[in-house]
Amino acid sequence: MRRLIASVAVVASTLALTSACGDEEEPPAGNGEPVSIEITFEGDTVTPRSAEETIAQGTDVELVVEADKPGELHVHSSPEMSLKYGAGTTTIPVKLSNQAPGVVDIESHDLDVVVIRLEIR
Amino acid sequence: MRPDGSTLAHGIGGAQDLPISPELAIAGAVAALTVSFTVLALAWRTPRYADSGGGRPAPAWLDTLASHPAFRIGLRVLGMVLFLYTAMVAVLGPDRVTNPFFGIFYVWWWVGLVPFSLLFGPVWRAISPVRTINLAFAKVSGGDPDVGIFRYPERLGHWPAAVGLFAFVWLELVYPYSTELGPVRLWCAVYVAVMLLGGALFGNTFYERADPFEVYSTLVAKLSVWATDGGRLVLRSPLANLATVVPRPGLVAVTAVLFGSTAFDSFRDSTTWLRFLQDHDFINANGAVASDTAATIANNVALLVFCVGIGLIFAAATMATGVEHRTDRRTLPNRFAHSIVPIIVGYIVAHYLTYFVEVGQMTLIQASDPFADGSNYLGTADLQVNYWLSYHPTLLANTKVIAVVIGHVLGVIAAHDRAVQILPARHQLTGQLPLLFAMVGFTAGGLFLLFAA
Repeated sequence: MRRLIASVAVVASTLALTSACGDEEEPPAGNGEPVSIEITFEGDTVTPRSAEETIAQGTDVELVVEADKPGELHVHSSPEMSLKYGAGTTTIPVKLSNQAPGVVDIESHDLDVVVIRLEIR
Repeated sequence: MRPDGSTLAHGIGGAQDLPISPELAIAGAVAALTVSFTVLALAWRTPRYADSGGGRPAPAWLDTLASHPAFRIGLRVLGMVLFLYTAMVAVLGPDRVTNPFFGIFYVWWWVGLVPFSLLFGPVWRAISPVRTINLAFAKVSGGDPDVGIFRYPERLGHWPAAVGLFAFVWLELVYPYSTELGPVRLWCAVYVAVMLLGGALFGNTFYERADPFEVYSTLVAKLSVWATDGGRLVLRSPLANLATVVPRPGLVAVTAVLFGSTAFDSFRDSTTWLRFLQDHDFINANGAVASDTAATIANNVALLVFCVGIGLIFAAATMATGVEHRTDRRTLPNRFAHSIVPIIVGYIVAHYLTYFVEVGQMTLIQASDPFADGSNYLGTADLQVNYWLSYHPTLLANTKVIAVVIGHVLGVIAAHDRAVQILPARHQLTGQLPLLFAMVGFTAGGLFLLFAA
């Protein structure tokens, strides 16, 4: 039993060490400027689609939406946001700088697809 | 969230956790593997937890308090107040995802059941409003709430609870309209109706074995330090407590649904599954059904595959051993099923920790203003959600992996103890191997999902 406890202790400390090293990954540096993301709606298609992007914690996002008809985007942040856009090009500032690290999906309400998945690190 | 529902429904709550780092996932899996074989090689050879129970008596004042009628009634009143409040917001509240009904249903009730049962023992049994109503009926009609019209059939065991749990996870994870008031309210109404009917037919035994929430809560409570021995409150080591789980028919099904559905919940958030649902021709251009229908069908199939798959792997792994002639191999899965409970709980902690803490707070804030008219019934409407946990992603990731590894260690020890108790001596070592591999597979799979989701 004692050896069991010892092995558990060894394993736990290895785990702590490994994780300490593993988390040093540098997120892309935020320079205070909002990250610009272009989204294009054309008929029943959207570009990008199921894309992924990593942004630094504390950065805001700016969506540049080009659409042939008005619609709505949903940002699954905490709390969630609904953003409306019109036909033509719309620039929508999205305040994400107050978000904790996590994963935020931006979803097209009308097409019911995840346009882009933001990893906030 | 679409008000008309969505095949990619996010349920309630906003941002999700970051995936854990690959180094951490690998470290966790290696730890699980190492510990497993250490237990096998070094642990005791005679069963420690076979004498069902034991434990040390709780302090007298605690025992007096816990068995005091006022305390019991207080808990029942608390349960009824929560129930009536929930029924009120379900019936009168707005059909919006900010209605606290959803948070109470999916977060406080479903997820909260685990930490509360872990800390305080079988809480749902103590506060269950369906038990209270059944008790009230019995008092009024002069009957005994423990006795129904019929005896509860032994063969049914926990199967109805497994079906009920599956109905819940289906509603939460697969059903496209899971954040609309109508269907969730209907689900609750059916649950209450079935429970009251069952209670009238079979008495309290029905709740003990067939109420999905009571079975879940009582099972998790076996990992708490609380137990009763001859009517007295005792403190017991969680492992000794866990060994007292009664192996009834359907127990494996209950554990398989709980574990399979949580794993599926991780899986369905993964980018891999998202891309499959959104971009694969199999979904979008199958020529038979529309893409949203195809995505719903795919989710249904995946949930079923996760639950049934885990059940089958577990059953096969426990039966793949040599046994005595008089032992029926088919009884083994249920007799080992308790050992999977810590693995489930560890994984649930990892999967739901931030969700419970953050959406749980959000629900408390919404509960103060259930009709969204600016009122502040509970005085909590102006509170802000504390995102401290999310702001410490390293701590969070470490906590998750440690929870999974601890769950795994407890599971392996529980299985080992049961194996040395019921397997014949010459098969004790080899007989444990298949289950050990299955458990390492479950844990590594869980860690992989935390890393990939």
